[in-house]
Amino acid sequence: MKDLTSYSAGILCSTVIHVAVVAALLINWAPESKKVMVQPKYIEAKLVELAPKKKPVAKKPAKPTVDAAKKKREQDKRRAADRKKAEAKRLATLKEKQRKEREEKEKRQREAAEQRKRIEAELEQAFAEEQAQINAREDEQVANSYMQMIRQRLTDNWNRPPSARRDMETLIEIRLVPTGRIVGVNVLQSSGDQAFDRSVEQAAFKAEQFEELQQLETRLFEKHFRTVKVAFSPEDLRL
Amino acid sequence: MNEENLSILSLILNASVLVQMVMGILLIASVVSWVMIVQRSLFLGAAQRGFREFEDTFWSGIDLNNLYHDLTAQAKEDGGGDGIENVFRAGFREFNRLAQTDKADPDAVMEGTDRAMRVALSREDEKLSTNLPFLASVASVSPYIGLFGTVWGIMNSFRGLAMVQQATLATVAPGISEALIATAMGLFAAIPAVIAYNRYAAQVEVINGNYETFADEFSSILHRQVHSR
Repeated sequence: MKDLTSYSAGILCSTVIHVAVVAALLINWAPESKKVMVQPKYIEAKLVELAPKKKPVAKKPAKPTVDAAKKKREQDKRRAADRKKAEAKRLATLKEKQRKEREEKEKRQREAAEQRKRIEAELEQAFAEEQAQINAREDEQVANSYMQMIRQRLTDNWNRPPSARRDMETLIEIRLVPTGRIVGVNVLQSSGDQAFDRSVEQAAFKAEQFEELQQLETRLFEKHFRTVKVAFSPEDLRL
Repeated sequence: MNEENLSILSLILNASVLVQMVMGILLIASVVSWVMIVQRSLFLGAAQRGFREFEDTFWSGIDLNNLYHDLTAQAKEDGGGDGIENVFRAGFREFNRLAQTDKADPDAVMEGTDRAMRVALSREDEKLSTNLPFLASVASVSPYIGLFGTVWGIMNSFRGLAMVQQATLATVAPGISEALIATAMGLFAAIPAVIAYNRYAAQVEVINGNYETFADEFSSILHRQVHSR
């Protein structure tokens, strides 16, 4: 009886210790396998706001008041009428002049606005072009890194036949689906040695799937990875 | 081969069957040895405590006949007594039986009593040192088992290395890492077992010494009694 209880205590302790150790190991051993993808360097371009400078709107000069003088004397009247006429004429010309000036100013403003708009549009276009260029370069880099990965994987899986010689080269075309799985392999350009071609095909079949391609944007995949062409040549052989 | 997930769990799960077997054996050895360690610790502790208590009552001047009857009743209740009480009971029973016969030769009585106590002592010794051989085996063997798993795993990963053209560290590293887990487990099982074995062996020695001393003392008391008649 005593033995049984002490054994069960032992079993309990032992189980607890082992579970604790295993748990500690599993928790502390967080895998540090962050995938490092090529981070393309790019210069951040910012559109500088071209704030339209508000020109203070010129105040219209106040209309000069007409002095209406009434003179008893005809002479005076006539003179006054003359003066009036002259005054009116002067006023008319003045008004005309002002109108013209205003029109001209408006025209100038319109032109300036147009020009500003044009400049802005040009800038925007240039910016968009630059962005597109940057994007294209980035895409290129990402595609290249994936391409590198594919090439590496294929080379890893490649078992060269004994008949391989240094000047042989086989170009194959691999068809991929977006999951990264290889759905077809074609030999585009044979090396002339059947065994060698076969080994290349085998390498592609062995690679089976490039799971990393799943992380790729569909656009990029369609552009670069729907069909992939890879050339195989045993450069490191001394034959 | 690719998409390495280096958590310890996946390493173990991806290991080859033999290495996994080795790990399993080591895990079982470790679990069982811990069971033994705890059980022995409780048992030896109880034995030491029991001895001290018994000695106290024995030397308190109690009547030996009463003590014998008490202990026998207690042993019947428990289903077989423990430790030093057994030695005492065996000796006393034999002494009484021999002494009650007519014209008993004192030397023959003492001889019989000593023999009975020797038998009881060796039984107790056996009880004290159960499971210790298992701990000793785990302590000495499990590092070798772990090493075997490691060597096998490294062997395999080097074989794999020979098959690829571009040999990088990354092609062998997971294999070696997984193989080394076996050694780690071996050491994990062995170290507590070694410590426990050494400690318990010493403790058993001490307790046995105590028992023997008591048996001698008891024997001398009985000797006095049988010759004083």
